[in-house]
Amino acid sequence: MNDSDITVKLNSIRKSFGEFTAVKDLSLQVKAGRIFGLLGPNGAGKTTTIRMIVNITGPDSGSIELFGRHITPELQDRIGYLPEERGLYKRMKVGDQLKFFAELKNVSSKKIDRRIDEWLERVKLTEWKKKRAMDLSKGMQQKIQFIMAVLHEPDLVILDEPFSGLDPVNVELLKEVVLDLKRAGKTIIFSTHQMELAERICDDICLINRSEKILDGSLRQIKQSFSRNAVALRLEGSHDVLNNNGLVTHVEIHSDELEVLLAPGVSAQQLLKKLVESDVSVSKFEMIEPSLHDIFIEKVTEAA
Amino acid sequence: MRKFLAIVKREYVQRVRSKLFVLMTILAPLLVAFFGIVPTLIFGIRGGPVRIAVVDQTGKLYAHLAKAVASDTQSEATPDVTAIKNANLTERFQFATPGGRKIELYQVDLDGRTIDEIRADLDHQIRSKQIHGYVVLPADVLTHSRPQFFGANTVDLFTKRTLEQSINRALREQRLRQANIDTRTIDELSKPVELRTVGIGPAGEERDSGERFLLVFAAGFVMYLTILLYGQMVLGAIIEEKETRIAEVLFSSVRPFTLMLGKLVGVSLVALTQLTIWGIGFLVLALYGVNLLASRGVPMHVPAVPPTHILFFGLFFLLGYFVYATIYAFLGSMVTTPQEGGQLAMPIILLLVVGFYFFLPVSQSPDSSFAFWVSMTPFFAPITMMVRIATQVPPFWQIALSLLIGLGTILLLMWIASRIYRIGMLMYGKRASVSEVLRWVRQP
Repeated sequence: MNDSDITVKLNSIRKSFGEFTAVKDLSLQVKAGRIFGLLGPNGAGKTTTIRMIVNITGPDSGSIELFGRHITPELQDRIGYLPEERGLYKRMKVGDQLKFFAELKNVSSKKIDRRIDEWLERVKLTEWKKKRAMDLSKGMQQKIQFIMAVLHEPDLVILDEPFSGLDPVNVELLKEVVLDLKRAGKTIIFSTHQMELAERICDDICLINRSEKILDGSLRQIKQSFSRNAVALRLEGSHDVLNNNGLVTHVEIHSDELEVLLAPGVSAQQLLKKLVESDVSVSKFEMIEPSLHDIFIEKVTEAA
Repeated sequence: MRKFLAIVKREYVQRVRSKLFVLMTILAPLLVAFFGIVPTLIFGIRGGPVRIAVVDQTGKLYAHLAKAVASDTQSEATPDVTAIKNANLTERFQFATPGGRKIELYQVDLDGRTIDEIRADLDHQIRSKQIHGYVVLPADVLTHSRPQFFGANTVDLFTKRTLEQSINRALREQRLRQANIDTRTIDELSKPVELRTVGIGPAGEERDSGERFLLVFAAGFVMYLTILLYGQMVLGAIIEEKETRIAEVLFSSVRPFTLMLGKLVGVSLVALTQLTIWGIGFLVLALYGVNLLASRGVPMHVPAVPPTHILFFGLFFLLGYFVYATIYAFLGSMVTTPQEGGQLAMPIILLLVVGFYFFLPVSQSPDSSFAFWVSMTPFFAPITMMVRIATQVPPFWQIALSLLIGLGTILLLMWIASRIYRIGMLMYGKRASVSEVLRWVRQP
C-alpha cells in the first residue's frame, strides 16, 4: 500500500503521566477515506492517543505521521477534532463562535459565513445563529460543537464519543453527516466505548484495553476470523435431527430458538440441506456473527 | 499570526461589547467622583456654626481675637452686627473654617456682673444650646493667668486649636500694643503667612495647592484598580475555558502559548481602551469642565500633566498588568472552579494592596532609597514608580531600569506560565498541587 493512502500512522508511541502509562507501544494505521473506530472501555487510553494525533500533547517515545509527513503544528489545520470533553463560550453568539473557531483553523473569513449558514441549516439550527450558546439545549450545543469540527473542511475528522447524550433522531442526523463526509473522501477516526454503534459505521477498528492494543484490522475480516461457525435456528417440530448427525457439535436451547455450533469443516449449507431433507420445517436459519462486544470480551479474557 | 489575531480580536470584541464594560466605563468615574464628593458633603453636614461666647475681662482682647480667628479660618473678618440674638452678646463675628464649619464669636457684655454670675448664665446657655461654648479671658491674662474654655463638646479638636492659636495671637498683639509699638507696625509684623507651594519639575515652576497630590493619588488608585480588575478578568477567562472544556478544542487549533498570549494581549487592549476613554473624559473635564465650573462659582484647578507622564502611565500600567495577569493566567490553569481561583489569587491581591500602601511613604520621600528599591521591584513598580514620576521625576535611567526589570520578569513569568498552562488546562478533576506544578514546569 502506498504511504499517501495512510492518513495517520503511529509508530510504537508511548505516553506516561508520572507512574501511570496511558498508552503503551501503540502502532496503528488509519487508511485514507475510511471510518476508523478507536474502541475500548473508559480509561483505555483512547483520548490520550487522540490528543497525540491532534498534537495537543506529544508522545514520550515513538513517532506520529500525518498525511505521510512527520507531525507539525501546521498540520492541525487539516484536522477537525470533536473532543469528548467539550464546551462552548457561554455568552458568545453561536454564529460568532463558529466563525472564531474556523479562524483558528486559518479559514479566510470570506468563506466562513456561507459555510456556517449551510451547516446550521443541515443540523436544523439556522434560527439559533444569533443566540448565545447558553440559551441552547445540550443537544443543540453538541451539534454546534460537531459543526466546529468540520467547518474548516478538514481531511481528517476525529470524533470522540460524538453521539453520547443525543436523542435517536439527532444520532441518525449526525450519522448521516459522518457517512457523507466519508463519501466526500474524508478520513474519520471515531472513538467510542459503545461497540454496537461502532459496528454500524466503522470500516476498520482498533481495540485497545489498559493502554495496549489488543486487536486491529478491517471490521469484516475481524468478524470473519472470530466467526464461531454458529447458526441460529427456529424449527417447527422435533429437533432430534440435530443429534448424532456428525454435523453439529453443540446445541444451545433458548426460549424459541436454537443456537448450534457446526463441527469443524462443516458448512452451513450442509446443515440446511440435511434439515430440508428431514421432516422439520425451518422458519429461521441465520449465520451468527460474533458481535464486537463478544470479540472484545473474548480478547480481554484471553489476555488476562 | 492570524490565529493570534483571531484570539486577540475575540477577547477584545466580546469584552468591549459587553454590558459590564460599558457599565464600568461610565460608572467608575462616577464612583471616584462619588468618593471624592461624599466626604466633603459629610463635612458640610457637621458644619453648622460653632457659637462661642467670649468673656473678655480685660476689655481689650476681643477685637484682636476676632481678627485672629478670622485670619486663621481664612475668611473675611467682617463683623456681622445685624443679627444679635441675645442682649448679653453684643457683637458677632462669623468665620468659615476650611472644612466648611463656621465659628461664630460673641462678646459677652459684663454689665458689672461677677465672673460667677456670668459663668452661671453662660453655662445655662450651653445647656439650652444657644451657644456651644465660651472662652474666659481673665483681667490679668496679659500678665500671668490662663484663659479658659468651657464647652459642651471638648472633643472638637479643630475648634479648640483654632481658639488656642487665635487667643495666643490676640494676646501677643495686645502685649505689643502695650509696649507702645504703633498699630501699623504690629499689623506689618503679625501679618499671617500662607505657604505657597511651588513644585519644581523639568517643565519649570508650577503653582500647586493640593491638586497635584490628588492627581498622584488618583493615578495610583486607578493603576491599582485597573491592574486588579483586569488581572481578575484574565483569571476568570482562563478558568472559564478550562471549566467548560473549550481548552481542548482550542489546543487542537493553536499552540497553548499563542492562546495564552492572545488572551493576555486582548484583555490588555480592553483595559487600555477603558483607560483611554477615562483619559479623554478627564481631558474634556480639564479643558471645558473647569471653565464651566468656574463660571458657576466652583473654582477648580487641574494641574498640567506632561504628555510624558501619560506615556509612562501607559507603560507602567502594561508592566503591572502583564506581571499580575501572567500570574493569574497560570493560577487559572491550576484550579478547577472560580472559587478555588479566588482562594489562590488572595496572596496576589495582597501583593498589589501592599504596593498601593507604599503610595504614602514614596510620595513623601520620592528620592529615598526605600522609594528607589520598591520602584525597582516589578510587583510594586507600577504604582510606586508612577508616584515618584508624578511627585519628583526620578533620573531617566531609573525609569528605564525599572521598565527593563519589569520586562525581564514578565518574560520569565510567561515562560513559567506557558509551561504550567499547557498541561494544567487539560487536567480536570482536582486542583494541582505545588509539586505537580513544579514537575510541569520542568517537563519538556
